[in-house]
Amino acid sequence: MDTLSDNVLMLKVKNGDIVKMGLLYERYYRQLYRFVFNMTRQKELSEDMVQNIFLRMLKYPEGFMGFGEFRIWMYHIARNAVYDHFKKVKRVPVHSDVKDYEERIEGGEYTDDHLEKEQELKILATALDKLSDEKRELLILSRFEELKYSEIAGILNITEGAVKVRVHRALTQLKSNYLNLEK
Amino acid sequence: MCNNFREGFTALLTDTIDKDHRNEIENHLEGCADCRMEFDSLKKMWDLMGTVPQPEPPEAMQAGFSKVLSDYKEEISVKKNPVSDWISKLREYWSVQPQPGLAFSVLLVVAGLAGGYLLHKPGQSSIRYSRQIDSLSAQVSEIKQAVMLSLLQNPSASQRIRAVAYTDEISNVNLKVIEALFTTLNEDPNVNVRLATLEALVRLSDEPQVREGLVRSINLQDSPMMQLALADAMVKLQEKRSVKSLQMLLDKKNLNNMVKLNIEKSIQKLI
Repeated sequence: MDTLSDNVLMLKVKNGDIVKMGLLYERYYRQLYRFVFNMTRQKELSEDMVQNIFLRMLKYPEGFMGFGEFRIWMYHIARNAVYDHFKKVKRVPVHSDVKDYEERIEGGEYTDDHLEKEQELKILATALDKLSDEKRELLILSRFEELKYSEIAGILNITEGAVKVRVHRALTQLKSNYLNLEK
Repeated sequence: MCNNFREGFTALLTDTIDKDHRNEIENHLEGCADCRMEFDSLKKMWDLMGTVPQPEPPEAMQAGFSKVLSDYKEEISVKKNPVSDWISKLREYWSVQPQPGLAFSVLLVVAGLAGGYLLHKPGQSSIRYSRQIDSLSAQVSEIKQAVMLSLLQNPSASQRIRAVAYTDEISNVNLKVIEALFTTLNEDPNVNVRLATLEALVRLSDEPQVREGLVRSINLQDSPMMQLALADAMVKLQEKRSVKSLQMLLDKKNLNNMVKLNIEKSIQKLI
């Protein structure tokens, strides 16, 4: 059986079978939502943006050549959307997410461990916010999205070696932000 | 000196490192207390990040895109409307070379057509015909569906396979047919019938409920043949939601060894 891989589906979309985009959406909307939300920290905006990213791929399928991986092309477009948004609005560090995390942690036992964990996650969120967009993005891609270095290299158009060094620097910076906040 | 090793710490955490390099760094860590402290603090950070709850998209999002898709379909169909295309081309042609002679001949043709139309009044009958054809083809499709549904109840397995093959001829498969197919897939006593049903369903996999049904069916199948075929189908459809069900299948005690191996491979391909 030949696999209905992402690339096969996307090439079908490119040839006019646009319903196949629905399948790709189903495969990736969760993942993209996570990425966009982690970058922007805004629920509704992330929802709209994910749909717009898929609409963009539908409208301009020429960009997909078929020899690279679909996922990498998708993240390219997602990044552009996120950075376009950053350019449009002046960034104010938003901490709406912290409340969101709290909601999710609640429900467990109200122990000291629980409080401590909550505190740690709060500090981590702030430490992440203090990173530059580029550094934050690298950590989101490698830790939260769990992408391989080779994939991140494709998305950012840099070598794998450069990804390795930059992720390391981002993590080191995050650590020092965290330690400063903890004081 | 230490800095050379430190650049590799994060790679060590992400497991994107070759064996030699890993050994080299681990050896250094054993001997260097400073680096060990540095590595431990980075590891703590990395592990803490791993416990951050990840946001789930709101449920409405799953269905939301089908509207975007249908809106877009409409948009391009308006753009590609052949009639308006034609008119605009004609207009272009007209404005470039006004020719009274041509205009006159076009007028004559139009007059002729109008005359013929008035004499014959073909409008009503042709509409009637096309209506008849429409209703006939709808009836044919209904009959095919009825035949298929009743054949599925036939005691002979080969007749039931024929019924399943019939689904390809039904132009717009509806929920009733899909439900009947799933009942066959999950309950038919004959493996060959179930296999044929699976193939038919895979061809219908553009429908979301078909894909969901297939995932659900994984744990209802006892025959190794079916388990293998379903796992293959999941890989073909790249259905990541099936991973959980496949893993549950792996936990079954009396699972055939070959099946086990293949399913492990399928899971690998899906993740």
